[in-house]
Amino acid sequence: MIKNHPDTDLLAEYTTGAMALAPTISVTTHLQFCNSCRSTVEALEELGGEMLEQADAVPVSDNLLEQVFACIGKDNTNQDAFLTMQNTIDEVANSIPDYLKKFLPEGDLRWKFLSPSVKVAPISVGEQVHELALHKIKVGGKVPEHNHLGKEITVVLQGSFSDEDGVYQQGDFIVREAGETHQPIAANHEDCICLSVLSAPFKLTGLKRLLNPFLSFSPS
Amino acid sequence: MNKRLEWNGHLEKVGRDKDKEAFAALFNHFSPLLKSFLMKSGGQDAASVEELVQETWIKVWRKAPHFSSKQGSASTWIYTIARNTRIDAIRSQIRQNPDRLNAEDIYADYQIEAPHSTLVQLRNKRFISEELRKLPAEQSEVLALMYFQGKSGQQVADTLNLPLGTVKSRIRLALAKMKLALPGNIAERQTGETEHD
Repeated sequence: MIKNHPDTDLLAEYTTGAMALAPTISVTTHLQFCNSCRSTVEALEELGGEMLEQADAVPVSDNLLEQVFACIGKDNTNQDAFLTMQNTIDEVANSIPDYLKKFLPEGDLRWKFLSPSVKVAPISVGEQVHELALHKIKVGGKVPEHNHLGKEITVVLQGSFSDEDGVYQQGDFIVREAGETHQPIAANHEDCICLSVLSAPFKLTGLKRLLNPFLSFSPS
Repeated sequence: MNKRLEWNGHLEKVGRDKDKEAFAALFNHFSPLLKSFLMKSGGQDAASVEELVQETWIKVWRKAPHFSSKQGSASTWIYTIARNTRIDAIRSQIRQNPDRLNAEDIYADYQIEAPHSTLVQLRNKRFISEELRKLPAEQSEVLALMYFQGKSGQQVADTLNLPLGTVKSRIRLALAKMKLALPGNIAERQTGETEHD
């Protein structure tokens, strides 16, 4: 049962296209698991259709239809969607939604260890402001305590983790605001895989900050 | 015959039979609306807005085989294509990610599990349409800035010189009036929010 959802106005920003790439991907990922948000988004799209119907009409040039037919007549092979699913050989890739597989690099994911039980693999989507990545926390593993300099969105893809505030299961969409400190711990029976979107570097608190691998914030 | 059913039927004909007459009927009805919609995104002259309108129709033609009136109405479907066209245009303008991802790659490609019956769809549509016309100006203003101009909640707040919280509550009130957010969901989300606010 998914307990944590994007709030309604976030879904509205998603639907209207006000959101940057990486957060949009995180919401679409949540929708792969969540029927309730999916129907909210469908309703918001219906509202978009209705707004379009009620827009004040502005006449278009007389020859526009002809131009459209001319373009259609040409053999137009270019597709709108560029991406197809990658044949990634990484084992983690098998446990994430097909939707996300499109964004993975070909071949191996480039995993970096953040601690003995946590590793991270960046996903490059050509974003300037946000860093998108997969995280894998080993069974029972702890993520070093850290606080956020920017906002972080996490979507649980497999397994579950908990922190001071609760337990998060597959499909949960969790937002951490800048300045919040937390220490996620994976459940005891399986590894936890998450998608994360980070909007600024975050730092470890305490002594560990001297060895802070989280600081390698590098939007791709 | 109900107009909305008519548009759905036209779009299905375009998809199934490549019917140019049906396409022209859709074009004539929706183009002036699309132009209005795309104009308000800002910073575009009339000529480039028409290019976006044109691009939208080329996609409509190409994708029409994927349209099914069981999954939604023609206007909603055309809206999402126009939205994606606008997103891609803005993104290529600011040279962010010029050649890798399209809006279509990042938005959902899920299948709707339990499509609504045509009757339920029509009733919903008419309800939304009537409620939308009745919204107080302060709420429809916020929706217009979001839908037509693609502004985020924060950008709407900046534009109207209002606190973000006020903008959010206007969005929620409007959506609740149109029954677009199920009360259960809203309650659930609000609890969720207190957790991470």
